[in-house]
Amino acid sequence: MKKTIDARGLSCPQPVILAKQAIEENERVVVIVDNVGAVENVRRLGSTMGREVTIDKKGEETFHIHLSGGPATNDSPGKTPDTPAEKQSNRHGSSYVVAIPSDTMGSGNDELGAILIKSFIHTLLQLERLPGKIIFYNTGVKLTAEGSDVIDDLKQMEELGVTILVCGTCTNFFEITDRVATGTISNMFEIAETMSQAERLVTP
Amino acid sequence: MTSARNYYVVLFHSVTHAIKAEKVLKEAGVAAKAIPVPRHISSDCGVCLRCVGSQKEKIEQTLFEKVDFSRIAHL
Repeated sequence: MKKTIDARGLSCPQPVILAKQAIEENERVVVIVDNVGAVENVRRLGSTMGREVTIDKKGEETFHIHLSGGPATNDSPGKTPDTPAEKQSNRHGSSYVVAIPSDTMGSGNDELGAILIKSFIHTLLQLERLPGKIIFYNTGVKLTAEGSDVIDDLKQMEELGVTILVCGTCTNFFEITDRVATGTISNMFEIAETMSQAERLVTP
Repeated sequence: MTSARNYYVVLFHSVTHAIKAEKVLKEAGVAAKAIPVPRHISSDCGVCLRCVGSQKEKIEQTLFEKVDFSRIAHL
């Protein structure tokens, strides 16, 4: 059975939530969205859930995302299978998550806070246990954009298997989406899910 | 960490000096990265500026008479 979801005009993360529900219940799903961010988010959701994904660009603001291959019969409904990437352990197998809500660390003095957050990220890289994921939101997303002093640290962590999620609503707000130089543009659904499933959530 | 690279760290008397030096160097277009002082150099909870060997002299010149630093150490 094929199900079509028209998610045009819906704001993030609504298309992802609708897509997830449809994918769980149907073997073939077509999701129609109107922006590249939503295409990317739904595509990633599909591959995380083990579906085959093809994208068909119908126009400037119309994309059809075809997802097929599910639902897997031996999986309990609603359960997202773990991707190898999620199970894969990086440096000494850790799964704590770091949330970075600001481009400063602590409050009181922003000049000091800016130095502290850079030191914090640089130091993460030297820890015996790397985080499994790092989530950037609000002004924190500025740390992932071109010109940030911690790009090199973040890229090295990515190479070591750390997943870097960058809030797309936030990069859009600050108008830096096209300057994000590391990590993956993500959505609130994935961010909330990652936080809620984290073994431990660390916030500097 | 690319340990093969020839890194130096500029050490300061205070964090305020380090922040000021970072700003001065950035304005002058000299590449330096603020990092916590490595534990084997000092156990102080401080911030220093890391640079590659080729930038060492330029940093000394740029900071001269603008920002006081205590010393430059090999990383």
